[in-house]
Amino acid sequence: MIETAVRGTRPARALRLVSPSGIDAEHVVRSFRRTLALDDVSLSVRPGEIHALLGPNGAGKTTLVRILSGLIAPTSGTVRVAGLNATANSRDLRSDIGIIPSGDRSFYLRISGLENLVFFARLHGLRKRHAAERAYEVLEHVGLTDAARQRVGEYSHGMQKRLSVARALLTKPRVLLVDEATHDLDPDGSRRVQELVQEIAARGAAVLWATQRLDEIRGFAGAVTLLDRGKVRFQGSVPRLIEHSTPRRFVVRLRNGAGGIELQAAQRALGVRARITPPIEPGSEHHVIALAEGAVLGDAVASLSGIGIDVLACRQERSEIEEAFLALTDKPA
Amino acid sequence: MSVLAVEALKIPAFIRRDFLVAWSYRMSFVTDLVGLAGQALVFYFISQLVDSSKLPTFQGTEVTYLEFATVGLLLGAFIHFGMQNVAQAVRNEQLMGTLESLLVTPTAPYTIQLGSVAFVFLYLPIRIILLVGVLALAFGLNFQAEGVLPALALLITFMPFVWGLGVISAAVIVTFKRGGGLVGMGALALAFVSGLYFPIELLPGWLTSIAEQNPIAVAVEGMRDALLGGAGWSEVGSSILLLAPLSLGLLFAGLLAFELALARERRLGTVGLY
Repeated sequence: MIETAVRGTRPARALRLVSPSGIDAEHVVRSFRRTLALDDVSLSVRPGEIHALLGPNGAGKTTLVRILSGLIAPTSGTVRVAGLNATANSRDLRSDIGIIPSGDRSFYLRISGLENLVFFARLHGLRKRHAAERAYEVLEHVGLTDAARQRVGEYSHGMQKRLSVARALLTKPRVLLVDEATHDLDPDGSRRVQELVQEIAARGAAVLWATQRLDEIRGFAGAVTLLDRGKVRFQGSVPRLIEHSTPRRFVVRLRNGAGGIELQAAQRALGVRARITPPIEPGSEHHVIALAEGAVLGDAVASLSGIGIDVLACRQERSEIEEAFLALTDKPA
Repeated sequence: MSVLAVEALKIPAFIRRDFLVAWSYRMSFVTDLVGLAGQALVFYFISQLVDSSKLPTFQGTEVTYLEFATVGLLLGAFIHFGMQNVAQAVRNEQLMGTLESLLVTPTAPYTIQLGSVAFVFLYLPIRIILLVGVLALAFGLNFQAEGVLPALALLITFMPFVWGLGVISAAVIVTFKRGGGLVGMGALALAFVSGLYFPIELLPGWLTSIAEQNPIAVAVEGMRDALLGGAGWSEVGSSILLLAPLSLGLLFAGLLAFELALARERRLGTVGLY
């Protein structure tokens, strides 16, 4: 890191430690009384990058986001956000970050979306007229122009989330922290929020996207940090994460001529290489086959075919990312 | 532009926000005013029972109990309403879930605290003027016109005192979540020995001498001298000089306590919890 003086449009920001990355957290530890919420967590997010912070409930994702935003201090470790020390919780830091919180209750529900945005814009130092203009711009950007004068309390979850994105866009942040933004959204709403965040990243913002929804990081995040019980279990690209996937459970569609599947016969044919479950629903042709350690799917399929059971379709029960996640977090399959 | 100026420019945003929120609950304005009218009526009937000759005189002017109590009622309502709103402002943000959204903006904690109550302190004088107007019209209060401006100056001087008590209460609430009642009890004790609703001379002798040093008593006596006795700037000035440092000191102590409370919450990681 190089220390340098920056002279720009904001004279108060005289001295800034310029960091090559948007977010740099090193050896962060945070404990709450006797609970260790984060244990030696390090991560780095470059400008323009979307970095997924993946983990189950209680993994420490929100704690890390709150530390990065300056809301709470780490017990130890160093945190630099947009080149500034996040633990100092400076005004400059808060000017440079945008936050999309997980909950819906971060707005004033009795006033309109437009008035909410104008209020927050003015807290970011925009003059009244400029704040209103900017609020209209960002509302248009997130597709909420028609609801601008509607009370936020009347917004749907998806609309409130888009309003959160709009708020984060007010100041063109250098760093965007997104905490479980899509956990209660339908697929279309999630996709919309993801597209908006991708646009923000494309403009050069470093984005940290905390989530427990495994399906949404493929093709979206450039890098992943997997947290579990406060510890980093994996760090790298999504393809590297998938390398940890060793799928052992498959949903198969089976048919045995005109008759049903004789489960005991099927299990005898599979032997020790796999275990077959009863149909997912009574009358269904779908079963789950769980392969034993070292067994090969092709062998299992061949042994079923050998007793006259046709395997009409086969797919992994879980995605590769989910398999990797379970493998890395020691969760039972 | 200096940081203070930047922060000051944010206060109107808070006022607009709180006006819009209050306006969305229009009925609460009506119930508040009806409540005030009810209070006035109660004091009118009590005044029928009180012998005016037993009340103290102000600048040699004899007053009715209704006039005496109205000034106390004004200041009491000002203290109660102001302190409660200042203390609850941050608590409400916590409960609504908006406190963290405010804290992640580049806004100083003191601006958040001051901004969150600015609307209340604009609304309070309107409320007081309405109450006095109703009482004067309905029951013929004999207020001295020449004392209005000095009384107003005294009230403005006293405002930071109430604000300070409220901010201390807010700091206690941020720290202990529901501990604001402790400060409220302290304020109630101060109000009890202040002569808001009865002359402090009725208290036991030892308590009277303590009550005379009570800032609320100083304020209410000064206001009665001005409004009921027509005391001018020279008489009220001494009360203002006495109250000004106390008020400012308490406000700064409150803001400092609030900053420290927030810093503690950041350290503990419990900011936003309630």
